[in-house]
Amino acid sequence: MKRSLVNTYFLLALACLIPLRASAMHIGEGMLPVGWSIAWGVVCLPFVVYGFRSIGKRVSATPKVKILLAMCGAFAFVLSALKIPSVTGSCSHPTGVGLAAILFGPTITSVLGLIVLVFQALLLAHGGITTLGANTFSMAIAGPIVSWLVFRGMKKLKASTGLSVFFAAALGDLATYVVTSLQLGVVYGGLVKFLAVFALTQIPLAIAEGLLTVVIFNILEKYSKTELEELAVV
Amino acid sequence: MGTDRYAYASRLRRMDPIAKILFSALVLGICLCCPGIVPGLVTLLLMGLLCVRWGGVPGRVFFRFLGIPLAFLLLGCLTIVIERHAPGTSVLLGIPVGGWVWGISSSGLYRGARIVSKSLGAISAMYFLALNTPMTDVTLGLRRLKVPTLMIELMDLIYRFIFVLWETAADIRTAQDSRLGYSSFRRGISSLGSLSSMVFLRAWNKADAIYSALESRGYTGSLDTLAGNYQSGKLCYMLAPAVGCAQLLCCWLEVHCFG
Repeated sequence: MKRSLVNTYFLLALACLIPLRASAMHIGEGMLPVGWSIAWGVVCLPFVVYGFRSIGKRVSATPKVKILLAMCGAFAFVLSALKIPSVTGSCSHPTGVGLAAILFGPTITSVLGLIVLVFQALLLAHGGITTLGANTFSMAIAGPIVSWLVFRGMKKLKASTGLSVFFAAALGDLATYVVTSLQLGVVYGGLVKFLAVFALTQIPLAIAEGLLTVVIFNILEKYSKTELEELAVV
Repeated sequence: MGTDRYAYASRLRRMDPIAKILFSALVLGICLCCPGIVPGLVTLLLMGLLCVRWGGVPGRVFFRFLGIPLAFLLLGCLTIVIERHAPGTSVLLGIPVGGWVWGISSSGLYRGARIVSKSLGAISAMYFLALNTPMTDVTLGLRRLKVPTLMIELMDLIYRFIFVLWETAADIRTAQDSRLGYSSFRRGISSLGSLSSMVFLRAWNKADAIYSALESRGYTGSLDTLAGNYQSGKLCYMLAPAVGCAQLLCCWLEVHCFG
């Protein structure tokens, strides 16, 4: 009897964790051992350097690009700080991964993502400086690349824009958290556990983000064709 | 916003940012490298004290900020701590599921405690920088530490624009909320969608206007600003080895006396 009571409490305590999930986005400061922190930083380096090179080239061609990109970076930060209504009733933050990848392309997103993550770590205590490499890889490199590939792929297959945007954003969001689970699972073992906690619970949030991105994209397409065209040149 | 609000009021605000960056980095690095539970807790204690006593950050503010990353920490740690055990192993707390026992063992608990303490130590070291140095000083410090100029300029600009856009977003949000824009999931999504796209459009127009303003003042592609007059960071440089030694000593003591 007592045993089953303990078990019930145990399960109840676990259930209490679900709302926590909503506010836990990035790998927190000090969660990864030194070796892995450095390793993820090194993995990110080529992507970020390539991104900087391409931004540098564009900036020297047209100085205005710098201001525009900075605005886009600030937009990404603000977007990720907004609360998104979720199907389960709890609130979460959108990652903005899909939208950024579709609008700016994965190269620029990697650089903007890195800077946004630095600010999130220092200003809002989301993520951390030591886990910057790991978070950059999952949120600014892997997620956006998946989004971008899905978007381009579906466009090639003549899927409607709405559908492409939805799947690009939702799958990019999901990919981000799958990578986060992998990063934690590789270090601490029990990959399936991390996938269950961080990726499976993300599915409703990914759907919400997909819907949100479609709404944003529709409005942008209607009212700011010229900006989007300019962005494609950027 | 966030830590920045308190950084401007800090007593250490005028101190050389490079000293604070290096100090935090050193303490953070040592905290991460030390095994065991004690070094993390000692780091937390020392950096917390320095923040509150030396920097003049209110204690409750420090604790409140310490609570923010706790959500991820708890979730991550519980995922690590709760393991699958073969039936018959001694667990502190567990439930049998399909022939296995899922639960917490004492070794798992120790592992979890180690991660929590290490993480809290690292967070407090980072907060020493974040709660005592405004972001503009951090970027100036990074510039002098030879971080690429393009990165620094983008950081400076993004930092400034965040506040501009944040205000716009918050105003629109209030307006929508007061008109029941977030009363259901469907409405919420469509309101948030129009908010985001409006913020994007405003950002774009603002960038245009700012660029015109800069260009008319002779902007050629770089924004240079003068560094402020900083007090020397001598005290920081003197404290760094002391804190570092304390961390290493605790680590050594834990390994040799209790390990």
